[in-house]
Amino acid sequence: MTGRHILLVDDDRGLRHVLAALLTPAGHVVTAVGDGPEAIAALNGARFDIVLVDIGLPSMSGLEVLAHARSQPDPPLVIVMTADDTPETLLQAVKRQPYRYVRKPFAPNTVVQIIEDAVASASAAALSFEVISAKPEWLEILAPCSLEMADRLQSFVMHLEADLPAAVRESVAFAFRELLNNAIEWGGKLDPARKVRISCVRTRRMLIYRISDPGEGFDIDRLRHAATSNPVGEPMRHMDVREAQGIRPGGYGLALTRSLVDELIYNEARNEVMCIKHLD
Amino acid sequence: MSALLAIEEHRVGDVTVLRLSGRLELDAGDLALRAWIDRLIGEDRTRIVLDMQGVTRLDSAGIGMLVGKFLSVRRGGGMMKLLHLTARTNRLMDITKLVTVFETYQDEDEAVRSFTTGSTGDGG
Repeated sequence: MTGRHILLVDDDRGLRHVLAALLTPAGHVVTAVGDGPEAIAALNGARFDIVLVDIGLPSMSGLEVLAHARSQPDPPLVIVMTADDTPETLLQAVKRQPYRYVRKPFAPNTVVQIIEDAVASASAAALSFEVISAKPEWLEILAPCSLEMADRLQSFVMHLEADLPAAVRESVAFAFRELLNNAIEWGGKLDPARKVRISCVRTRRMLIYRISDPGEGFDIDRLRHAATSNPVGEPMRHMDVREAQGIRPGGYGLALTRSLVDELIYNEARNEVMCIKHLD
Repeated sequence: MSALLAIEEHRVGDVTVLRLSGRLELDAGDLALRAWIDRLIGEDRTRIVLDMQGVTRLDSAGIGMLVGKFLSVRRGGGMMKLLHLTARTNRLMDITKLVTVFETYQDEDEAVRSFTTGSTGDGG
């Protein structure tokens, strides 16, 4: 792994010690500080590639450190660590473009893995998104068509649904990711210059994900390469079509998503989809 | 995206067991698995058991790769069987009806023996 300059900001001396002990042998240069003013001073005095920041700092919110870091001319990636997992705090952070949001307590290796991912896909990790609405009941984001961005967005969105029962959360997470991957891969052609628009609307009784991609849509009757077209008893038939058309193995996303949510509604062109999960 | 799937290989007689750890998803593990199994097919080692216990995330592309390699191995005259499916993976395999295709096992010895005894596993 290529070493990076990392600023670690947390008032928990033990966590600072553990993370520095894990990151330094991996080749990173770690500067560890215990509060916000020290972090601001460090950011003003040197350039960092990655900032790890706790939100609940004693004299200044980590959100201010995040904002300051992201306002730098060549901003570092910021990984937010917090025990405060309320939607309001998450959304305040999301508006400031963090790279990832990690809920405390976490296994220290979690952060190391996130940093390895960021380093491995540095250009994609640096992509930014536009927050159109950041209300707990209505999150709307316009984002580049990149699978790395899908990882980040899924992480943010699933933190919002932390209060749901595990089985529901698992189902909606899977459905959201399948639809987002479809939008990014087929609609956006994996081109970060193209944008996918995501709305996550939460009512008292339902959860709605609306995903709009920049593609031309598709004809559902021509989806012979999807498992939904298979005759009963032949769950692999569509794989022949995919192989003949040179499409990667797959085609189970639509069938799975339909089974995991209550309603899946496409617009006429089928470049926009609404996925609904009832909560009562 | 980085390779997020670790694969450990060991052999029991002429059966190759691959222990998967991490993500088996679009552009995150699926290509690593394809390359590994293609190599085994190239070496004519087509009695394969995939230990899925360590798979933390699986999406439709990962499932597609399992099916794609199942077909490749079968075309090569062998068989690929699944071991230690988690409840989550089992649910996805059930929804897609792939439980009717894959032989699945909860015990490695039994999975390995099935290549000679003709057992069809827990789900097959």
